[in-house]
Amino acid sequence: MQRYILRRLLQGAVLLFVLAIVIFALARVTGNPADLLLPEDATREDRADLLRTLGLDRPVHEQLVVFLSGAVRGDLGQSIRYRKPAVEVFFERLPNTLTLVPLSLIAAILVSVPLGVLAAVHRGTLIDRCCGAVAVLGIATPPFWLGIVLIYVFSIQLGWLPSARMGGPSHYVLPVVTLSAFLVAGMMRLVRSSMLEVLDSEFVKLARIKGLSQTVVVWKHCLRNALIPVVTLFGVFFALLVTGAIVTETVFAWPGVGRLTYEAVIFRDYPLLQAVILLKGVIVLGVNLAVDVLYAYLDPRVRYA
Amino acid sequence: MLIRLRVLVGSALWLLVAAFPHLATAADTDTLIIALDTLGAQVMDPILDTRAPHAHYQAPIWDSLVGFDLEKGGIGPGAAERWERGADGKSWTFFLRKGQRFHNGDPVTAHDVKFSLERIMLPESLSSGAAALRRAVDRIEVLDDLTVRIHTKGVIPHFAASLSRAVFMEGTVMPKSYIEKVGAKTFRDKPVGSGPWKFVRNVPGDRIEYEAVDYPHWRGTPQFKRMTLLLVPEQSTRLAMVRTGEASIASIGPEALKEVRAGGMKVVTVPGTMQAVYQFWGLYRPEVKGSPLNDVRVREALSLAIDRQQIIDHVMLGEARMPLPFTVYRYSIDVTIPRWEDWSKTALRYDLPRAKKLLAEAGHANGFRLTFWNTALPGTPFMVQIGEAVAGFWEKLGVKVEMKGVEWGVFDPMSRGEQKGLVGTASMYRTAGRPEPSPRYITTLNSKGVQHLFGEPDNCPALCQESDKAYEAVVSERDDAKRLAATNRMLDVAAKSWIVVPIVEGMGYWAINPKRVGFFKPIPGRHEFGDVAERMPRPEQRPWP
Repeated sequence: MQRYILRRLLQGAVLLFVLAIVIFALARVTGNPADLLLPEDATREDRADLLRTLGLDRPVHEQLVVFLSGAVRGDLGQSIRYRKPAVEVFFERLPNTLTLVPLSLIAAILVSVPLGVLAAVHRGTLIDRCCGAVAVLGIATPPFWLGIVLIYVFSIQLGWLPSARMGGPSHYVLPVVTLSAFLVAGMMRLVRSSMLEVLDSEFVKLARIKGLSQTVVVWKHCLRNALIPVVTLFGVFFALLVTGAIVTETVFAWPGVGRLTYEAVIFRDYPLLQAVILLKGVIVLGVNLAVDVLYAYLDPRVRYA
Repeated sequence: MLIRLRVLVGSALWLLVAAFPHLATAADTDTLIIALDTLGAQVMDPILDTRAPHAHYQAPIWDSLVGFDLEKGGIGPGAAERWERGADGKSWTFFLRKGQRFHNGDPVTAHDVKFSLERIMLPESLSSGAAALRRAVDRIEVLDDLTVRIHTKGVIPHFAASLSRAVFMEGTVMPKSYIEKVGAKTFRDKPVGSGPWKFVRNVPGDRIEYEAVDYPHWRGTPQFKRMTLLLVPEQSTRLAMVRTGEASIASIGPEALKEVRAGGMKVVTVPGTMQAVYQFWGLYRPEVKGSPLNDVRVREALSLAIDRQQIIDHVMLGEARMPLPFTVYRYSIDVTIPRWEDWSKTALRYDLPRAKKLLAEAGHANGFRLTFWNTALPGTPFMVQIGEAVAGFWEKLGVKVEMKGVEWGVFDPMSRGEQKGLVGTASMYRTAGRPEPSPRYITTLNSKGVQHLFGEPDNCPALCQESDKAYEAVVSERDDAKRLAATNRMLDVAAKSWIVVPIVEGMGYWAINPKRVGFFKPIPGRHEFGDVAERMPRPEQRPWP
């Protein structure tokens, strides 16, 4: 087991190294932060001075070496925009996203699991088709639009909930619904197909022969087995939410890492962009590793493969 | 079954409890809440942010050496109640108001002004005009506690204007003793200024909170006890917040005006915040010598083909004005405004038959191909729609427009240096409102300027030479009356070239909840409200008409 974890850690380190080089190159493709900071009447000399101040006057390969050597020590440079260590800026915002993500995951599970089970149990019926329609709607609805519609209905028209921003529990309702909506569809289809497989298995037939009620068979015996693939994909869902929260965070003025990524891109804040993507990479790799280790623990075939 | 019931009841209770904090927030009438699309770098140090964000969130805390003309726009008294230019034109003496103090109780003195200007000019300073100030200032002399003299490296007729937030932020007065005592880092964490609002809290990516000073302030004593600036990037959300009362005011674009009015909100427009222009790049270069654009009749025809009133009515929903010449506003100094208002009415008219005739005379009756870069500078996304409308009018004239939509961060580097991709093409551009035309003129048209649309020092044709000469005549003139005439001449050169052509004079737009804030007037030309909030009344003090 230890060798398995070590191997995965080494793979992760290589992946992060490649990621670091790719981000470093991509961040520089579309422009320069100096041009966005300078006023309209700045001269060429002003631009050169600012590039020097920002440390961007050095050759690119030198900048790469500085970045990589710093990254190894945990120093991802100073944000050009915020004039603070990029790592510090990231960790200031991360808790805000992390309060949203687990709630969204729970909300998605609370909706998708019952729907998936219902669809499987009533396969081919109107209920199944309705659940399918919910799935299609969830996939087809842009989170941006959904967020605005929810604000219109629940904040403007009904006045029940605040429109945006972090705050008390009521502030979480609309962003959580918006963020979880696009997960519901995928999760529901997964639960449905998994349930269909389990419903056809021998032990379910045996349970029925024994006279157990439909409720107990479905919700106790079948669901428990059907949820295994869903749990396995938790790492993927978590990563999707952490990296995909940009739109939701923008609509609801939520100061999380999604919006920070957007700001870093728009302002060509190279160090911040590099830090945000690299640290998100670390989080995604970490969560996936945890899920894989758990899976390997549960299923020895994985760790010996 | 029991578990499911518990979950349901629990959820219902949670939602019920959750509603209370929201209602409590909405009921707070002592706090002025302004929702903004950007808070810039959100760093509480005037040397670490640029012009517009500074005027949003740093202006409430810090005063500026030179202030505003609150009625007309442009410059007026600030922390300095008056100033004088030296006889040689190379020194400026500023006389500070008596009795000013920082929030920690220290008096505001000439030493603070000297310290602040020197701090703004530090190499690590990112403020917009720091480089220009470094080029301009020779030395700073404290004459007494309330008098400071700045010696410039040459004659700079509008030096005082560059120390006003009407133009830049370099006149910001910071507390010398406090910064020297606590250091820059603590100053950023616990900033102290002399403005009408004291710093309370900065939550990155979310908000900045302020508290009103409890003594009369020369800029106006705030009528609200507290102020919060919220960062809400999405316009629909900002509008929803104003409508529900979660915010008193929100920044908007012209496309939201209908929705604002339909929702029972008020609109405040700030005149003269920007001028949308289109301009032609590198026409003096040998490789585009044969371009149709090198015929002034073609360039004039392109302007005559644009129905500016249609753009004002349909793109800007009526909240924009016919422009004056390039970089001139109704509050501009050294300019004969009535003369240029007349010019605007005739020269910028919509006259498609005349445009077609001019094009035919130039030998392009069947049109020609034109590459047009459509871009929007930060804060004015509606420039893209204006660009689309312009391209449509040109198509109507018979010009085949190849429109290239490009994000500003990509376009801006192209416009500096060799401008290889731009030579022989047109683009959208913008000039931000400022009272003196000459700094923007040099940037765009002078051979030593960044954009140098007329030529470069080693390739400066007749128009370029004439323009450079006209500019020099303005900036070297110490006599006000003669400088007025010289400025009009300089503007004439630009106007007749049809190389940089104004489309509309844009405005700043704000949605207001009339139940949360009373009627107030903005400062013409200054989009941001950092210097306005202290004069905003409560709704019961001055209801909206």
